[in-house]
Amino acid sequence: MNAQTRTEMRELSYAEAIREAMDIALASDDRVILMGEDIGVYGGAFQVTGDLVEKYGTDRVMDTPISELGGAGVAVGAALTGLKPIFEFQFSDFAALAMEQIVNQAAKVRYMLGGSVSVPLVMRFPAGSGTGAAAQHSQSIEAWLGHVPGLKVVQPSTPEDVKGMLLAALEDPDPVMIFEHKILYKMKGHVPEGHYTTPIGKAAIRRAGKDLTIVATSLMVHKALAAAETLGPEGIDVEVIDLRTIRPMDRETVLASVRKTGRLICVYEGVKTLGVGAEISAMVAESDAFDFLDAPIVRLGGAECPIPYNPELEKAVVPQVPDILDAARNLAEGRI
Amino acid sequence: MPIEVIMPKVDMDMAKGKIVTWHVSEGDTVTKGEPLFDIETDKAAMEVEAADSGILHHAVPEGTDVPIGKPVAWLYAEGEEVGDPPAGLAPAEPDAPAVKDDPAPRADAPRPGATRREPDAGEKQRATPRARALARDGGVDIDAIAGTGPRGRVQAGDVAALLDRGPAQLGAATFRAETGPLSVTRSKGGTGTPVVMIHGFASDATSWAPLEAHLKHRPVIRIDLPGHGKSPKLKVASFAALLQEVRRTFDDLNLDQAHLIGHSLGGALALGIADTRARGIASLTLIAPAGLGPDIDGAALSGICRASRAESLGPWLRRLVADEDIITDSYVRLAMAGRSDPNLRAAQSAMADTLFPDGVQAVDLRAALDRLTPPARIIWGKRDAIIPWRHALRAPGRVALHLFDGIGHMPQIECAEEVGVLLRSQI
Repeated sequence: MNAQTRTEMRELSYAEAIREAMDIALASDDRVILMGEDIGVYGGAFQVTGDLVEKYGTDRVMDTPISELGGAGVAVGAALTGLKPIFEFQFSDFAALAMEQIVNQAAKVRYMLGGSVSVPLVMRFPAGSGTGAAAQHSQSIEAWLGHVPGLKVVQPSTPEDVKGMLLAALEDPDPVMIFEHKILYKMKGHVPEGHYTTPIGKAAIRRAGKDLTIVATSLMVHKALAAAETLGPEGIDVEVIDLRTIRPMDRETVLASVRKTGRLICVYEGVKTLGVGAEISAMVAESDAFDFLDAPIVRLGGAECPIPYNPELEKAVVPQVPDILDAARNLAEGRI
Repeated sequence: MPIEVIMPKVDMDMAKGKIVTWHVSEGDTVTKGEPLFDIETDKAAMEVEAADSGILHHAVPEGTDVPIGKPVAWLYAEGEEVGDPPAGLAPAEPDAPAVKDDPAPRADAPRPGATRREPDAGEKQRATPRARALARDGGVDIDAIAGTGPRGRVQAGDVAALLDRGPAQLGAATFRAETGPLSVTRSKGGTGTPVVMIHGFASDATSWAPLEAHLKHRPVIRIDLPGHGKSPKLKVASFAALLQEVRRTFDDLNLDQAHLIGHSLGGALALGIADTRARGIASLTLIAPAGLGPDIDGAALSGICRASRAESLGPWLRRLVADEDIITDSYVRLAMAGRSDPNLRAAQSAMADTLFPDGVQAVDLRAALDRLTPPARIIWGKRDAIIPWRHALRAPGRVALHLFDGIGHMPQIECAEEVGVLLRSQI
């Protein structure tokens, strides 16, 4: 096995891929700093920062007090004054505490000052359900931030993408919000070595198919792929699109797929109503791809309730593989 | 339960229709799709097909005006007991004025020939956007397609299946039928007995121009066939129905005498008119007429109907003439421009399928030719590739034959001068 092949085969977990991206950034750019609660000695709520504090010291890997609003405010200020902070939330749910800084400051200040400043801020949000952490620690709130002009909102679904998108976010002059599904942290996958970027605003076709399109985000991409593997032998050839970025959304990839298949299922973990799937559906309905639809659009999203603590209920309120199978079969077989 | 047969709404403004003729008698069996009755409205007349099969009972008398949506008869199943007319049957009032207490026509009035459906009858056809787009591109009327999706929704596959079945079935099944009188155009000037011209299949009134140049001394009146030129795309159920329509148009011209000229299918129609309106016909000219034998080039007919581009139309047009050079590319493009409406092509496909099923002339007018009394002539090109000129030899001795060597199916264009001079001397 030569060195080249070894590089291609190298696997990291999603969390390791993030850490490697931050390590590369810290090493190559003095302006990059990490901020967040318990990211130093403790290594982060999900052990993503790990031992980076030992390598780069507390000036650059900075524990912030237990105030998301305060920490986020410092991060926005640091970004405005020349640094490139990567701010970690312990849970994406706590973004609610920092909304003033994210929505009213980070997203708007470039506009309000006539483009004379920008906020090169990266925020990382451990997101999603499946960990038994209940209503206040399990939400998928990406659509909240996706609604704010001035922000970029990404949901990488693979180790390779999360590293590349974090490095791309650091090159972006404006705030980029990275939603990392907690279930993905332990997922392993191929990750190229060294510095590379994965474009923000570009979806990925994870599986090509001709019968129906599933546009999924984050963990749901993997559920959609699992469903597609089951459906293939049944004669239902599914195309799975990993949206990757919800703002700005990759319109062309989605529309081209719908033009091809004529059937669309949107799968996302956030609450179904007014969510990412609503935007995807509307985008298709407003476009020329409308003419190619051969069945109603189906959205599979989170239930209209807080995430329950009971593990069975927790599973029941977000889309699962059987839900996707049902929807795909109903669509492909002309029942809806 | 007997099935209600209702007065269909065949045009937008229609409030009622008159039952003109029943094609099926009381107590007789009718099969779905067969002609059941003829109706007449203020604007149009048309044949209504049975939407279901059954035994006809309680039919309102011919001549009765019936508001749309009201029953005109009931279809019973075999062995089903026939009692009193079910409630709701329109009163028998032959030629009565509009029924006074009749409500305004419902917006959701059913389509022609439909039996009464649930109140959603007036809803737009359920169809997916993709099916609609396919139908639009293929020149198919989405409303005429039976959907296989949920709640009868037409899906892309339904349209694709129809398109796959080929143009004849396609047209027969799916053009968007219209109503209204046929288009009649008149030349300026000319005196004496007018000349009435009936063009051939897939042509229109403008095709007469080369011949007309020689007939300027007479008023010229041209009739566009249904689904051709400026005429509405009527549903044509049979040659007899087509003849009835054209004859009505001819009658409406209200001419004491007319020289009648028909080409190809128009020739068959002219012969049909002359057969029943002999006293009004000063002379009859049949140019390469249909109706005198079974043979016809069905491939050319369907090829012309099917062609959606100049490239596919050209080869078929060239088959119409002996000297292909007269069909120039610009002529083909012009002809295609006149055929750009997919609904027109679909209507003509449907007509071809009715009149020339499987590429055979279904109508036989040889008996009409034999009993013809007005002065008549047949003009034919001896290199006609569409209808064999030898059909002309069927003509009785009193019919003049003018057979042109080296001329195809279009003598009135290919040798307009000679045909024109010939006609001028006699018309």
